[in-house]
Amino acid sequence: MFQKWIDSSMKKSPWIFHINAGSCNGCDIELVSVLTPRYDAERFGFRLTGSPRQADIVVVSGPITMQSRERLVRTLAQVPEPFCVVSLGSCPRSGNVFKGSYAIDGPLEKWTHVDVSVGGCTPKPEAIIAALAQAAELLEKKRSRMHG
Amino acid sequence: MLPYFGEAIRNLFKKPATERFPGSAAPKAAECYRGRLSYDPTKCVNCGMCIRVCAPQCMTRTIREIDGETQEITFTFDMTSCTFCGMCADFCSQHSIVMTDDYMMVSSDPKDFLVTGSFQKKKPAAPKFTPEQLAAMKAAAEAKKKAAAEKQEEKV
Repeated sequence: MFQKWIDSSMKKSPWIFHINAGSCNGCDIELVSVLTPRYDAERFGFRLTGSPRQADIVVVSGPITMQSRERLVRTLAQVPEPFCVVSLGSCPRSGNVFKGSYAIDGPLEKWTHVDVSVGGCTPKPEAIIAALAQAAELLEKKRSRMHG
Repeated sequence: MLPYFGEAIRNLFKKPATERFPGSAAPKAAECYRGRLSYDPTKCVNCGMCIRVCAPQCMTRTIREIDGETQEITFTFDMTSCTFCGMCADFCSQHSIVMTDDYMMVSSDPKDFLVTGSFQKKKPAAPKFTPEQLAAMKAAAEAKKKAAAEKQEEKV
């Protein structure tokens, strides 16, 4: 009964959860700068949340290292459906300069679906905002498909 | 106290510091920004220097034989694998690889991250003689020389 109303209000506040899967911190800094007053993604309702249970969009950065792999899978399993996965930078898609290393177990597609990916090493905040907006659109579509 | 009031009043009439990006056009990148690379296959000579210097090995080269004399060489640059260090552009002697300032690389389709280009290369003209023929000719010339030398000796 209230589902339509809930969906329309959730559309305006897609919350982000950020997973660092062995990133060099470059992408993480850029993602945080997206939420600062200069780029201000919060005017579109994006908000960084501390718990995967509250997340709508999961942002993953870094090649998937052996140490973080299990945590990544466990965290992604806790995110409620429907959710979008955004891969940040070159690392999650290919491993970047760590490609072929014994310490990484990528790419991210091996472990989850990737809805939107951002290229760049590191991507510019504008590109990240564009990716988040695209992910929010996809999320809306997924949600409407789920609830009919 | 007074200067602070001045600052406060000035701030009231200032434009907001927030970029209005998704509402307006994306701002231009800084000068010398290294974004998506562009590849011009007409200038490329297939020296393979870019493949050598690329740390994340983001390039693939495929060589397809068209007929006995022509090859089609295709370079594919994967932008999801690139570190944007610019080494390939620095080492490209023909300047066929150039880093552009396009940083908007956002897509759900992996194909959008590929930069490809292909060109055809003709093999150099085949030599007039085969190595066997050349060897035979060399042997014949030497035999002739030897014969001439012997003749000279006989005369003396």
